[in-house]
Amino acid sequence: MIKNFLSLYLPSYPRVVVYMLQASEYEQGPYLKWYWRTRNYTEVMNRRSLHLTRAAKLLLTLLRLGIALHIIACGVLIYNGIRNDSVGVVGIGMGMCLLYPVLWAHLILLPLVVGRHGIAKPAQKRVIQEAEQIFASHPAVKIAVLGSYGKTTMKELLATVLSEGKKVSYTPANKNVSISHAKFARSLHGDEEIVLLEYGEGVPGDIARFAQNTHPSHAVITGIAPVHLDTYKTLDAAVEDLFSIHNYVPEDHLFVNTESEFVKPKIHVQFKSFGEQGALGWKVRDVQISLQGTEFSLVKAKRVIKLKSGLIGRHQVGFLAFVAAFALDLGLTKDQVQAGIAKTKPFEHRMQPYSLAGAWIIDDTYNGNIEGIRAGTRLLQELDARRKMYVTPGLVEQGPETERVHIEMGSLIANAKPDVVVLMQNSVTDYIEKGLQQAGYKGEIRKEPNPLAFYSSLSHFVAHGDLVVMQNDWTDNYA
Amino acid sequence: METVAVIFGGRSAEHDVSIVTALASVIRPLELSQRYNVEAIYIAKDGSWYWDEKLKDITLFTSGKIDEFLQKTQPVSVQLDGGMKLIKTSGLAARKQTQKVDIVFPAMHGTYGEDGALMGLLDMAGIPYVGCGVSAAAIAMDKVLTKQIARVNDIATSNFLAFLKEDIASTLEGTAKDIEKQLTYPLFVKPAHLGSSIGISRVTNKDELVNALELAIYYDDKLIVEEAVANLIEVTLPIIGNDQPKPALLERPMTKAEDFFDFDTKYMQGGKKGKASKGAQGYSQLPAELPKPLYAQAEALALRVYKAVGCTGTARVDMLIDEKEKTVYLNEINPLPGDLYAHNWNRAGVSNLDLVLGLIGLAKERYATRESLATTFETNYLQQF
Repeated sequence: MIKNFLSLYLPSYPRVVVYMLQASEYEQGPYLKWYWRTRNYTEVMNRRSLHLTRAAKLLLTLLRLGIALHIIACGVLIYNGIRNDSVGVVGIGMGMCLLYPVLWAHLILLPLVVGRHGIAKPAQKRVIQEAEQIFASHPAVKIAVLGSYGKTTMKELLATVLSEGKKVSYTPANKNVSISHAKFARSLHGDEEIVLLEYGEGVPGDIARFAQNTHPSHAVITGIAPVHLDTYKTLDAAVEDLFSIHNYVPEDHLFVNTESEFVKPKIHVQFKSFGEQGALGWKVRDVQISLQGTEFSLVKAKRVIKLKSGLIGRHQVGFLAFVAAFALDLGLTKDQVQAGIAKTKPFEHRMQPYSLAGAWIIDDTYNGNIEGIRAGTRLLQELDARRKMYVTPGLVEQGPETERVHIEMGSLIANAKPDVVVLMQNSVTDYIEKGLQQAGYKGEIRKEPNPLAFYSSLSHFVAHGDLVVMQNDWTDNYA
Repeated sequence: METVAVIFGGRSAEHDVSIVTALASVIRPLELSQRYNVEAIYIAKDGSWYWDEKLKDITLFTSGKIDEFLQKTQPVSVQLDGGMKLIKTSGLAARKQTQKVDIVFPAMHGTYGEDGALMGLLDMAGIPYVGCGVSAAAIAMDKVLTKQIARVNDIATSNFLAFLKEDIASTLEGTAKDIEKQLTYPLFVKPAHLGSSIGISRVTNKDELVNALELAIYYDDKLIVEEAVANLIEVTLPIIGNDQPKPALLERPMTKAEDFFDFDTKYMQGGKKGKASKGAQGYSQLPAELPKPLYAQAEALALRVYKAVGCTGTARVDMLIDEKEKTVYLNEINPLPGDLYAHNWNRAGVSNLDLVLGLIGLAKERYATRESLATTFETNYLQQF
């Protein structure tokens, strides 16, 4: 209690406040939520430290200056109170002095709000308008990649395979909002044959806005799962937003992963479907999953194309089948498609296997949705191992669905029958445990209060022949 | 939550190896298990005992700041009547700190730690501890006694002779002549009680033999001279268990006979002189690639030795194989292998965490068995006096 209170007055406090702002992407809502649920401000910076960008430096300087002036003002007040024998003034001075950490943690938002609405937003609006013209006049096949999960993976797969026969350009990493699209537009040369655009929805209306700005000719919905429910409130609202893309691309240019049950309410919309069974008229056959990759054949009439990818897991088959079939539709040869698929390999922290102390670790800490959990637990069940371990902190941003989603998650984990389940102790741990118990899980449940200590000491927990699937990770602002 | 005290360091030539074993292979996984409160007890080279949270930090030792730290720190008092209790005073107000210990995890190699001395103290205190008991540890740490017990149990050993320092110190030349009459070169001369290959020499002529005897008696008051095994394959097998010991994997150090395992080879150069760089784990073939019958023969011999000597908890049995003759000889037993041979257990499917927790479980099991035995009984002897 005392330690928590004193943490407000440590010299490191301004740095912590700016770190919280930065980690919340300078969004007031998430920052304030985080600020008010924090008890001890020395325990905030665990995963990362403050990255001293220009904005961060400016905020830190303002905050320190503000606090210094505040303390001086309090000192003057107290001094005057003592000189004038005014207990009231001394009391006010002391009270104000005590209040400075909380007060300045809020006052620091003022320059942000002014900067955002007075400077940044108008400037961004201009850049986005210019970009809209670039996209509108660009002759390339412009493919929008959207969905609750798998967007970056799909975009990277399309880029890898289509690059075998086309000139391809694509939005970098997970830069997937309007301003990122606009900046990307500036990098286009005009001679690209394929342009890939990742859409990162966050609030209702985002998809329509992105489509109006970027003029896609094709769109791929990679999957639907309950995410961003803090802003969408209901899954229906999220589904509605994603499917609003059908207003902007022709029916036969909209491709949807129909493996997800959440697509069902939208089955009346005209689109082309793909999934584990096949894509665009091609059937999937002879799937083989191992830690070295995934193999399968695409079959249409008498044509058979054998494909081998470095990606791991049965859930990847639908994506790979779609990319291969789509590439063929766009005019790539069988050899180009095979070569492209062979080049695909796991992306960092997305079903990425590595060996540790003789054990196989599948790092899927980038996952953040229940469909990913379904895929990860299925993979755990499917692969052979001496001992199986499943590690997770649970999912974030599940809004009112939090309890239901985590109980379902517990059930999925239980069905994979791991020998050990490691849960990073937090607000959803009890729900996952409830799901495990309801599904009759009999193995060992281990709760870790310090995720970082566990991850960094994982080699002590595993032995040769073990298989560990690690899904999801909570950054400091969620922990 | 029970408290485990990990004791390390000690007045031994293997002091530094013990620090690494304790901090990397015992304390860290035990703390990660969240099942025990773990206390670090460090015995300095002068024999003083220290108890402090900071002693769990390896950088205190690797940075060389340990001496400075010890100068500022009060040694701990250890109460051993009916259990174990740590007591120390520290800070400006001389605050008294006490801690009852439930289980001891000795992580000490060599003299006063691995040889039964510490185990005797813990038996007197009546506290469960990890590893071999007094007699097994004392036998295992005496290469002569180990071989004598092996022979009584029809377990093959190479030919050997044993000497006491007081008998040969003034007659090294004469002793060498006697040895030459009974044993055939090449020979190994070893201090009887030291581990980590300290003071060991391989000799092929009388001059070397005399020098080797001199070196061995510098380190120990008892020594053993034994014939080298021809067509040698050296193997080692870590074992865990009390009444029903379980083997890990047979491991074959990849050294030539003339590059026998000295301390430098084992710990300073990553196992393979000048090449490997991974501590004592980078040098071996694991599991040893031996014909199945020979593998099984070596494994069976190791388990027989383990039981014959009365080992409990864990030990590592080193063996010598004459590849041509397909004969396995006992070389020696190590009652507390460096780093617990965690790399071998890991390869056998036992994680570091499971290893230390398993060893604590075995310590409790053996303690319960001992406690069930009667050690006193009522007599009228005093009344008759």
